[in-house]
Amino acid sequence: MELNPMEQFTVKPLVPLHLAGYDVSFTNQSLLMVTVVAAAAAFLTFAVKPGRLVPTRGQSMAEASYEFVANMIHSSTGEDGLKFFPFVFSLFMFVLLANFFGMVPWSFTITSQIAVTFALACLVVLTVIVVGFAKHGIGFLKLFVPHAPAPLLLLLVPIEVISFLTRPISLSVRLFANMLAGHTMLAVFGGFVVALGAAGGALSLLSIAPMLLIVAIMLLELLVAFLQAYVFAILTCIYLNEALHLHDAH
Amino acid sequence: MAQNPDELRKLGQRLDEAQKRHAVRDTGPPPTQLGIAGRFSTELVAAVVVGGGLGWGIDWLLGHFGYHTKPVFMLVFFVLGAAAGIRNVVRAASELNAAMAAEDDKEN
Repeated sequence: MELNPMEQFTVKPLVPLHLAGYDVSFTNQSLLMVTVVAAAAAFLTFAVKPGRLVPTRGQSMAEASYEFVANMIHSSTGEDGLKFFPFVFSLFMFVLLANFFGMVPWSFTITSQIAVTFALACLVVLTVIVVGFAKHGIGFLKLFVPHAPAPLLLLLVPIEVISFLTRPISLSVRLFANMLAGHTMLAVFGGFVVALGAAGGALSLLSIAPMLLIVAIMLLELLVAFLQAYVFAILTCIYLNEALHLHDAH
Repeated sequence: MAQNPDELRKLGQRLDEAQKRHAVRDTGPPPTQLGIAGRFSTELVAAVVVGGGLGWGIDWLLGHFGYHTKPVFMLVFFVLGAAAGIRNVVRAASELNAAMAAEDDKEN
């Protein structure tokens, strides 16, 4: 009997593959990533296909997610941030569906892997840097220079630089830690059910308690799955806003 | 079917009001207490880790060029990292305040 709560996070190769000395096997991780991308593409394509004036359930879900992200970008970056709608929307849908697919029993949570979330966070921060330099040229570096007397800048500029470098880490760790913690908790309580059930006698009856708790945590996890996708997207918007408008926002 | 222009105008007003209500609801979920706590703690810890790591890296690099600075830069950058962490938390808090103030404005 496997009762290790961390076992669910192991990346297992499904189709072993080696290229030029590198392990490029198709894993459960890859399978879920392909599934998530395919599901997002299929959902958004087929749901809006009928193009009805009075939307069907599917169409209105697709339209609601579109409007939700469009409003989010508009309210945090303004009109010119909408250029980045495809980027933010793809990120949001990917993280959201990855979190939701992870909730399916026997599936695998790709956002519980720091490699995945860190890659996504680096993508965001690199985009911010590229956009900032493209828009303001070398003036983008003013982002690191707060309004302060010159001697203090000696201290403040390194602090601002470190603060900027923190972003990929805090962005990725937040998503990764939330998913990891939630799913570990579910597995731990699942282990309690099994252990109590196997204990026999009156103890077996007690196993209903952690079972009920799992249902509650499951609901909480559904909320966390959405909230974390939302937080990831809104922070992307906030960072993009800084790259677009530098200190204007302050 | 003849339409009364007055009725149409009323319908227009009702539509505008409905759209306004809709806009308020669409600004996203309010942050939960746990979410705020999680955000602030990761911001703080990540900055200290980045600062310390950066200082360690500088020491390591200088060590390769024959300068034995270890652990001076790590200590200095650890403190700078802690300062950056507090800067992050203050920034996150002011963003949260601004968002909440905007929310209140819309509701009133």
